[in-house]
Amino acid sequence: METLQHFALLLVGGALVNNILLTRFIGLCPFFGVSNSLDTSLGMAGAVVFVMTLATTATWVFWNVLLVPLGVGDFLYIPAFILVIAALVQFVEMYLRKASPSLYRSLGIFLPLITTNCAVLATATESVRPGFFKMGVEYGFTFGEALIYTVGVSLGFGIALLTFAALRERLEVAPVPDVMRGTPMAFITAGLLSFGYVGLAGLFGL
Amino acid sequence: MREWIAVFKRGISIDNPLTVLMIGLCATLAVSTKLEGALFMGLAVIFVLGMSSIIVSSIRSLVPEQVRIPVFIVIIASFVTVVDLTMKAFLPDIYTFLGVWIPLIVVNCMILGRAEAFSYHQPVRLAIADGLGMGLGFSIVIVVLAAIRELFGSGEIVFLGARLIALPEWYRPPGVLLLFPGAFLVFGFISALAKWYNTRTSGRVVQTDAHCTIEEGVR
Repeated sequence: METLQHFALLLVGGALVNNILLTRFIGLCPFFGVSNSLDTSLGMAGAVVFVMTLATTATWVFWNVLLVPLGVGDFLYIPAFILVIAALVQFVEMYLRKASPSLYRSLGIFLPLITTNCAVLATATESVRPGFFKMGVEYGFTFGEALIYTVGVSLGFGIALLTFAALRERLEVAPVPDVMRGTPMAFITAGLLSFGYVGLAGLFGL
Repeated sequence: MREWIAVFKRGISIDNPLTVLMIGLCATLAVSTKLEGALFMGLAVIFVLGMSSIIVSSIRSLVPEQVRIPVFIVIIASFVTVVDLTMKAFLPDIYTFLGVWIPLIVVNCMILGRAEAFSYHQPVRLAIADGLGMGLGFSIVIVVLAAIRELFGSGEIVFLGARLIALPEWYRPPGVLLLFPGAFLVFGFISALAKWYNTRTSGRVVQTDAHCTIEEGVR
C-alpha cells in the first residue's frame, strides 16, 4: 500500500503539480510549434509518451551499467545521454517503418523532432542522474520510480499540449488586436492557462 | 567588413532568435526570474554558440551531409560540458539556480538550428558574426525579461549579493510576475513590441511564427 501511494504521488506530481510545459517551461518548442491543430498535437503527444519512456529506460541502464562503474558520469553525461537518445530515436524510427507502417505514418514525422526536444533529455537527466531533482522527493530514483515519474511527466506534456491546441484553434477566429495576432497572443493564452497549474503547486506537499 | 556587420546585426534585430525566430524559448522563460541567472545564461549561450559556430564552419567540408546532426550534437555537447564544469567550479550558486538548464543548452534549438542553417554553409568569419550576433540577441532579450520580472516582481534587483536598484517602500510587488504565468505574459508583450518595432523599421511585415528550424534539418 505504501509503495502504491508513493508511485501514485510520483505520477500525479510529474503530470500535474510539476507540469513540464506550463510550470517548468521545458519543451516549449513543440508546444508553440505543433499546437496549431489538434490532430498534430495528438500525434506529438503520443510520440512523446512513447519516446520519453524508452529514453529514460535506456539512459538509466546506460548510466548505471556503464558511466557510474567507469567513473566518468560527471563529465560525460551530457554527450552520452544525448547520443543515446538520438540513436534510440533513429532505431525506433527504422523499426516502426518495418514493423508497423500505420503507426509510423501517424508518429513518424514527429520522431526526428523529438531528438532535439529538451523535455526528453531533461526528464532522462533528472530521473537518472542524481542532483537535479526539485520535487521535494529524495532523488536517486530506483528504476521503477524513474519509469513511473517519466510516464507521469509525458502524460502531463500530452494534457497541456492538447488543451493548448484546442484553445489556439478557437483563438484563430477570435478578434485579437493586430499587433498581438499570432505568437504574442499565444503566449498570453499560455500564461493564463499556466495560472491553473500554479493553483496546484504545493498539493500533496510535492 | 560591411557584410560581417550586417550579419552580426541581423541576429540582434530582424532575425532575433527569441522575439522573431521563436527558438530557444524554454531556457529564456525558465531562468528569467533573476537578473544574475539570466546574465550568466546569456554568457553561456554566447560562448557555446560562438565556439560551435567556429568549429562547425571550419570542418564543414569534412562532414558528410548524412551524419551532420550527430557531429553537430557532439561538438555542442563538448562545449556545454566545458560550461557545465566551469560554472560548477567557480559559480556554484548560479550553477544551482540554473540547474538542469545548463545541460539543456545542448538541445536548445537555437544552437543546433544556427549550426544547421548558417555555419554549415558559410565561411568561418561570417559564422563568428552570426554566432556572436545571435548569442547577443538572445542575451539582450533574456536580460531585459529578467530585469522586468525581478524589478517589478520582487521590488529590487540583487546582483551577486549586491543590491542594485530597489523600488520605494510603498510599492507592493505582485508576486505573480515571478511565477510561471508572469514569464508567459511579459514575454508575450515583449514579442508584440518587437514585432511592432521590426515591422515599422524594416518596412516589411515580419512573420512571427513559432517553429524550430531543426525540424526540417533532421529529416
